[in-house]
Amino acid sequence: MSNSENTGGNRWLIGIIVILLVALCGAVCVGGGVLYFLMQPGSSPLAQPAPGFGATPPAPGKQPTARAPVAPSRNILRLPGGTDPRTLDPAQVNDTNAGEYVAEIFSGLVMLDQNLKVVPDIAEKWDVSEDRKTYTFYLRKEVKFHDGRPVTAQDFKYSIERVANPATLSPTAENYLGDIIGVREKLSRKAAEVSGVQVVDDYTVKITIDAPKSYFLAKLTFPTAYIVDKNNVERGGRTWTDKPNGTGPFKLKEYVRAQRIILAKNENYYGESKPKLDEVQFILSGGSAMTMYENGDLESVYVTISDIERVSDPNSPLNKQLFIGPSLSTGFIVFNTRKPPFDDPKVRQAFALAIDRQKVIDVVYRKMPLVASTILPPGMPGYAEPANKLTYDPAKAKQLLAESKYAGKLPDITWTTIGAGGSAAQNVQVMAGMLKDNLGARVSIQQTDDASFFNTIDDPTKNPYQMFDVGWAADYVDPQNFLDILFRSTSTQNWASYGNPEVDKLLDQAALEKDSTTRFKLYQQAEQLILTDAPVIPFSHSREYWLTKPYVKGMIYPPIIIPRLKYVSIER
Amino acid sequence: MTAFILRRLLWLPVLLFFISLITFALGVYGPGDPLQVLLGLRANPETIERLRREYGFDQPFHIQYLNYVTNALQGNFGYSLVKYRDQPVGALIAQALPVTIQLNLVAIFLGLGIGVPLGLIAGLKRDSWIDLLIRGIVIAGISLPIIFLNPVLTFLFSRRHDLVFAAANLKFSIGPILPMVQGYWDGIFSAKVILPAFIESLGIIAVMTRQMRAGMIEVLSEDYIRTARAKGLRERTVILRHAMRNALIPIATILGLMMGGLVAGSFLVENWFGVPGVGQLAFDALFARDYYITMALVLLIAVAYVFSNLVVDITYGLLDPRIRKA
Amino acid sequence: MAQSDLFATRRQSAQAYILRRILTNPPAALGAIVIGLMFVTALFAPFIAPYAYDQQNLDQIEKPPSAAHWFGTDALGRDMFSRIVWGARSAVFVILMVTLVNLALGIPLGALAGYLEGWADTIIMRVADILFAFPGLLFVFFVASTIKPGVMHWARSSGLSELANTGYLDYAVVILALGVIGWAGLARLIRAQVLTIKQREFVLGARAIGVPTSRIIARHILPNAVTPIIVAMSMGLGDIALSEGYLSFLGIGLQPPAPSWGNIIAENAGRYWRQFPQMIWLVFIPGLVLAAIVFAFNFFGDGLNEALNPEISD
Repeated sequence: MSNSENTGGNRWLIGIIVILLVALCGAVCVGGGVLYFLMQPGSSPLAQPAPGFGATPPAPGKQPTARAPVAPSRNILRLPGGTDPRTLDPAQVNDTNAGEYVAEIFSGLVMLDQNLKVVPDIAEKWDVSEDRKTYTFYLRKEVKFHDGRPVTAQDFKYSIERVANPATLSPTAENYLGDIIGVREKLSRKAAEVSGVQVVDDYTVKITIDAPKSYFLAKLTFPTAYIVDKNNVERGGRTWTDKPNGTGPFKLKEYVRAQRIILAKNENYYGESKPKLDEVQFILSGGSAMTMYENGDLESVYVTISDIERVSDPNSPLNKQLFIGPSLSTGFIVFNTRKPPFDDPKVRQAFALAIDRQKVIDVVYRKMPLVASTILPPGMPGYAEPANKLTYDPAKAKQLLAESKYAGKLPDITWTTIGAGGSAAQNVQVMAGMLKDNLGARVSIQQTDDASFFNTIDDPTKNPYQMFDVGWAADYVDPQNFLDILFRSTSTQNWASYGNPEVDKLLDQAALEKDSTTRFKLYQQAEQLILTDAPVIPFSHSREYWLTKPYVKGMIYPPIIIPRLKYVSIER
Repeated sequence: MTAFILRRLLWLPVLLFFISLITFALGVYGPGDPLQVLLGLRANPETIERLRREYGFDQPFHIQYLNYVTNALQGNFGYSLVKYRDQPVGALIAQALPVTIQLNLVAIFLGLGIGVPLGLIAGLKRDSWIDLLIRGIVIAGISLPIIFLNPVLTFLFSRRHDLVFAAANLKFSIGPILPMVQGYWDGIFSAKVILPAFIESLGIIAVMTRQMRAGMIEVLSEDYIRTARAKGLRERTVILRHAMRNALIPIATILGLMMGGLVAGSFLVENWFGVPGVGQLAFDALFARDYYITMALVLLIAVAYVFSNLVVDITYGLLDPRIRKA
Repeated sequence: MAQSDLFATRRQSAQAYILRRILTNPPAALGAIVIGLMFVTALFAPFIAPYAYDQQNLDQIEKPPSAAHWFGTDALGRDMFSRIVWGARSAVFVILMVTLVNLALGIPLGALAGYLEGWADTIIMRVADILFAFPGLLFVFFVASTIKPGVMHWARSSGLSELANTGYLDYAVVILALGVIGWAGLARLIRAQVLTIKQREFVLGARAIGVPTSRIIARHILPNAVTPIIVAMSMGLGDIALSEGYLSFLGIGLQPPAPSWGNIIAENAGRYWRQFPQMIWLVFIPGLVLAAIVFAFNFFGDGLNEALNPEISD
């Protein structure tokens, strides 16, 4: 620091200028902040207690503003919203977080009911042609958008063609609508229209698909095939979902990013089960949801691993509010069968036997998921308890390893796992420890973020990972969604690079089989073959744990995106 | 002086060019792909190829970069690819920026309000136990890892704590003070701002205290203070009128530097406390490879940095002619 | 610039003097002791730690501190004391290496910029500007996550998969990321020092008699700029320890089960903070250990600063 005195005058001047600049900047920002909050609906900064360490919580009920969570004086359900949904556009939805909202605001021709069966929605009934390639849907006549405009077959055609329009940039177009004739052509700009969707009259629409597919109707229940309002989309531009005009049981009342999403009852909803709640409030990024639930600020909440032991204790009052439901998913430990030492099935089998999965689930997951013995999760049609379950058997594992071509010269192995933060890899740490103790395998762990992970496993032929873990949740309720997609030798999701001509043949037969009992038998045979070859170890089937206040009835946490809030009511 | 300012301002486009080029290249060539994140495990090669084509990601790098720059110069910074799909990046930043600025302002005010008096006292009582204590507390403040402070402070305010004084047969219960840890971010007029602002102010407190203490020690040894004391002015007058004023000047310079930091949020803090600010947006964008957002944020922070630096450089330039040449 | 002159006249007895100043300054002495303890722990980790850092005992999870496990056991039944002891080794290694990279880049670049001025100065300082303009830790994180897959891939494809599997590359990525970013501040500091020192008589004199530039910088300028470098470095060491912790916390640094204080905090404080007071040792011990080290570095730096600049403590 210079201590020359002749610059003293200058220093004063500079100091004043800088202070003024800071003050100006501060004033602008504070002013802007005040304006911003004055503009927020139903809020006034003066109504809030001044910030300070002694600030008391606003008494619930006394301040019925939209800002503080309000006690449910009316029929209001408050739920934790987690992070912001990526989108509210049905054409863009490809995860459950966004799907949860979209399924309430919009609806499609068919939907899944609480038992995950395909049931009529906007279509009251449908016919399937003899060759099982043409579906004729008859639409209900009383269906209206939220703004009152009646829904016709043209709206359905518009919605499908909007998804198939390459400019819409839908991430799910091929996966969910690719079976419809003409969708792929329009996506690649070879056709202006989707020829497979024909409007017969205002309330009849005919859909033609490329081959008989038993799961086609199930695919139509996904948001990609939901009906949107042409006027709404075209007037709203790229951010039209700020004010979506759907057909679902709830309307979007308010969405403030990172704060709240509020859905309000659609009074004109056409469906049999009318929505009973006046409003559903999702609190986004609001700190600990469990604490909020215990303080009566939420009506229902997911239970995470931090609270599971407390909640599972039968003496806890929370235990009576606990519900457990299946989630149609399986966690896998995947071996890259192209990479040594996993090109030898004996090594894979040895690894499978050397991991005590039940112990891992008990210790790391506090018994929350179920141990998996099959690829298909329980609850999936075609699921069957296997005759000989995979069990923990270190002695047999050692023996198998000794018989393999890597006996005594097992190379070092890297297990790649998605994760940020140390606790993400705890399961892998335990299993690596077991492999070390039981087989003497040196397994090191590499955590990576999902961007790099997905990018790498996307192409099974070039995947450098030796071993990794990944979970798969059902998109639709059909065994094809697991066995065909994950284990067919040509599939891009065949992460293990697994190839067995016999399995492929069984999968082909199953796809064409009409009779569902025989079809499921074929899938089970394929599953048994896969399990014997052990390209993956089925690790766990996760389960949903949630708490619901006793005065809330009908709350469900389905394993797949379905409209669920219309079944919920508040009774006290 | 004018030439000096002009020269620095002319650097701005060059700097922005390099920064944008590097960031864009990292986005395009870096590991991971936003579309891959978007599609997750269900990536259909056909879908990926179509989306790449439609977004123009199959174009050569220089064309992509030129397109970006052309659009950016017209005020269009692109649309979010993954995290807030199809939302304009400009709008997302316009929502996040006020949040972070507010949080940082509260942090700076806290830093000034706590740091300056502490530094003043430490400087006046130099080498006494008070000085030692203040410096100890301040250094402890910056030594606590944020990843540790976050959960501990949240815990303190989200539970009831019973203090029992058995001897006096007294029992106090404190908390839970839930508005501080619960609910969504609701601006600087809600209690939710206190903990994140406090954590972010710890560093500022340290700087302010240190600077103020050093300033006081320096000023108190100056001739005019000795003269003032010799004249028989009261100690309080000497300190408040003369010493403190001069010691505050470098504080003003530091504040100038901090203006650049106003727009950058600490993502560790924002993430934990659910503050939807720039730090969190940047963090989300980085993880999702949503690189149009990353680009815009980095450019924004660079501009803010350059301007605050300019202010500081001008200040130094006036103070010390030797540096002006740079 | 009075303090430099003072320093120059005191150089004969400088080391003894500085040592005395630090030892008579209780906080700095305490800091020195804690730092020393960390280095000793790091060096003798295998002998101090009673268990292997990755030895799991799934029947002994989350046990409170006891005679067998001084700091208790974690979620996988591993001895926390052993993990924290080994964590010291990671911390010391990263701190030393990052400091080396910072010095190796910062000193020559800063000195060149200050001495040569002109275009060299412009280029170096603008690159520093670019590094500064990126938002701190976020940028480190960005760089680390960007270069890591590349480094790993390169290691595997060039026959170094053994190396990729040992975890040394994890260190390398952290060191590279922190080192590449960290030099800019140091370079600035040195440049400013060089700018002032080179105006002084002995440098002007050396220049006049034709001493080569490199020699002037190495012999005359750097020794005189050493004070602020030491102070800045000792203050920065704490920040490096913190940054390493944050990177590991985000899953980019060292990979489990290799212990670093950052990933120990991530594994425990992040998970157990809601289960106070049952799991309090798992939250507090790793957090306070990291805090104590950073605290020690800061106090030591402060004391060093006072010792080197007795007139003005900045």
